[in-house]
Amino acid sequence: MDQFLVSLMNGVVYGLLLFMVSAGLTLIFGMMGVLNFAHASFYMLGAYFAYTLQGAIGFWAAIVVSPVLVGLVGVGVERFFLRRVHQYGHAHELLLTFGLSFIVAESIKLFFGNYPVDYRIPAALDVSAFTIGGAQYPVYRLLMGGIAIAMFVVIYVLLTRTRVGIVVRSAIHKPRMAEALGHNVPLVFMGVFGVGAALAGLAGAVAGAFYTTNPNMALELGVMVFVVVVVGGLGSLGGAMLASLLIGVVTSLAVGIDRSLADLLALVGVGDWAQGVGGLMTLKISSLSATIPFALMLLILLVRPGGLMGEKG
Amino acid sequence: MKQRDTSSRNRLTHLAVAPVMGLLVCGAAAAAPVKIGVLETLSGPQASSGQAYRTAVRYAIDQINAAGGWNGESVQLLEYDNQGGPAGAADKLKAAAADGVHMVVQGASSAIGGQITEDVRKHNLRNPGREIVYINVGAEALELTGEKCNFHHFRFSGDAQLRTKALVNAMKQAGALGTRVYSINQNYSWGQDMERAIADNAAAGGYQVVEKTLHDVNKVQDFAPYVVKIAATKADSVLTGNWSNDLLLLMKASKSAGLKVRFGTVFLDQPGNLANAGDLAIGHFVVHTFNAEAGGAEGERFVNEYKARTGHAPAFIEPQTVFGMAMVADALKRTPAEGGKLNVNAFAKALETAKVTSPMGQMSMRAADHQVQMPMVVSTVAKDARYKADETDMGFKPVKRFTATEASIPAQSNCAMKRPG
Repeated sequence: MDQFLVSLMNGVVYGLLLFMVSAGLTLIFGMMGVLNFAHASFYMLGAYFAYTLQGAIGFWAAIVVSPVLVGLVGVGVERFFLRRVHQYGHAHELLLTFGLSFIVAESIKLFFGNYPVDYRIPAALDVSAFTIGGAQYPVYRLLMGGIAIAMFVVIYVLLTRTRVGIVVRSAIHKPRMAEALGHNVPLVFMGVFGVGAALAGLAGAVAGAFYTTNPNMALELGVMVFVVVVVGGLGSLGGAMLASLLIGVVTSLAVGIDRSLADLLALVGVGDWAQGVGGLMTLKISSLSATIPFALMLLILLVRPGGLMGEKG
Repeated sequence: MKQRDTSSRNRLTHLAVAPVMGLLVCGAAAAAPVKIGVLETLSGPQASSGQAYRTAVRYAIDQINAAGGWNGESVQLLEYDNQGGPAGAADKLKAAAADGVHMVVQGASSAIGGQITEDVRKHNLRNPGREIVYINVGAEALELTGEKCNFHHFRFSGDAQLRTKALVNAMKQAGALGTRVYSINQNYSWGQDMERAIADNAAAGGYQVVEKTLHDVNKVQDFAPYVVKIAATKADSVLTGNWSNDLLLLMKASKSAGLKVRFGTVFLDQPGNLANAGDLAIGHFVVHTFNAEAGGAEGERFVNEYKARTGHAPAFIEPQTVFGMAMVADALKRTPAEGGKLNVNAFAKALETAKVTSPMGQMSMRAADHQVQMPMVVSTVAKDARYKADETDMGFKPVKRFTATEASIPAQSNCAMKRPG
């Protein structure tokens, strides 16, 4: 039972981290229709900025300043690159962000080297919150989860309860009408892109210290973030939250299941045959845990192409 | 096409050089230099290892050339980027063959190694007289010296059985192994080999494998669920063949869960690991092919020389690559030129009997399966190590050394090697 509880908590926190990164991606897509391939690169930039700054201004200040810097980079990307190719259609925007992700990854290697850098959580935070089932539960994981939840609440309130939110939402649904009513839609686009990038940067600054900060971190998380956005529904913030939690919990719990198809078939008496067949039949679920999200994505695309909470399905 | 380009370029060079040659009355007008191709992952996410191999090979070839090269000519180094996958490797191997390389050097990834050894075998069957030797400096899957073994493949690093045997032995002697061992590995040829080796060594190490886990390679971000599983088994130590992020994340996750287990690893000495792991790395074990402290004065000389040439101390897979290339140099020295050219089969036969003394001791090639017999060393991470790693205050302190004979394991029975002529 304890083990189940810890696995569940681990899954939730990992899911919340996925949400932090995918929130920006789904916002940007919902708003501008741009599938931003460079989004995970902003996550990586956030971690490296925080790593560079922490020596000078301390860990907490670095976590605050780094997302701001990443947001500014995002604003620059939108203003000087994306806006120029916008008129040529989505394929061009996609290619631009794709190229950008390579440029960011190679620049990081150029400045920080090929190997992981020494970015760690401060000793004061490197303690356990409580002990459960013989294992300690780190405070920092709770902190990561807390930041993600706070972020969700702030974005949600901002979008649904404020004037800015109304303008943003109207610009998403009917950009021309919003423009006709006197709102500066390109400015809104730029703002949303910047905020989206900053959110990814925040996730990077927080998670980079807990996991590792290395030049491949964008690649490692990038794919999973796309899965989250597709499963949750492109453009839906609530969907991204739901999908993140689902994926986090499922992968975490799957690790503990040492069962295979053969065990299932043994219930109906053909277990020996299945063991003999081998291959897929004897593959343990635990060894597939990192692959399950992709199977989930496939299923969602087949059954509900718009995603769990997608509006434009 | 490439072949024609090269030969026409050669003809031009010959024309230009001809008068000089005449003056020198040098008989080697038809001499062809030995060409060594590095077929590594030089770009993309896994480029860091590939570039380390390249640095080590370049260092070794510079040394061969400083000693006079081969047949009075400098050995040439050519570089090919396999782009991190078997498909790219197959492609670039063709390019290398067209450029007329005599040997290809590769080490990162057993999947790529498997492709190269098969392609080299086929190439050599189809192109007698233009054979290529595959110098394997790091692909450690057992099948490469087992069922896939091949006369033109030589391995200059360990394998799962060899490494686990030494690791278990040393950890047991240091009283760090305990009786309950958890085995966690990556789900591909190398990780599966490791899992088998950990189970095979249970009797020798006096432990029980409490649980075995295979997980996806470099896909898992969050290892906390695995740590929960390890904690539930009450394991004393964890043996793993994981490398790169899969090792770092696993160790960080167990530290943050307050898990008191000892890690026995193969790749903890990868650059960046100690810097990133920090104090949590202390007390864990690694089995590797070189430890400067264990090498004594010779080890120190090697470290200083390597540092002077490349700008950093040899780490991770660099030493074994340099030692392997020293054996290549030894075999080249004993292979006379035939009409100014290198007879690759004669070279391969010389390589079968190659023997050198590295800073770690005697090493030699075993002709039966082309697996090098090399000394191994097991070290633990400690603050009082003589050589610090990664600009931290920690380093690898030798726990136990194994001579080539002590470390050796018998050749696999399923290696049926076909020798030419």
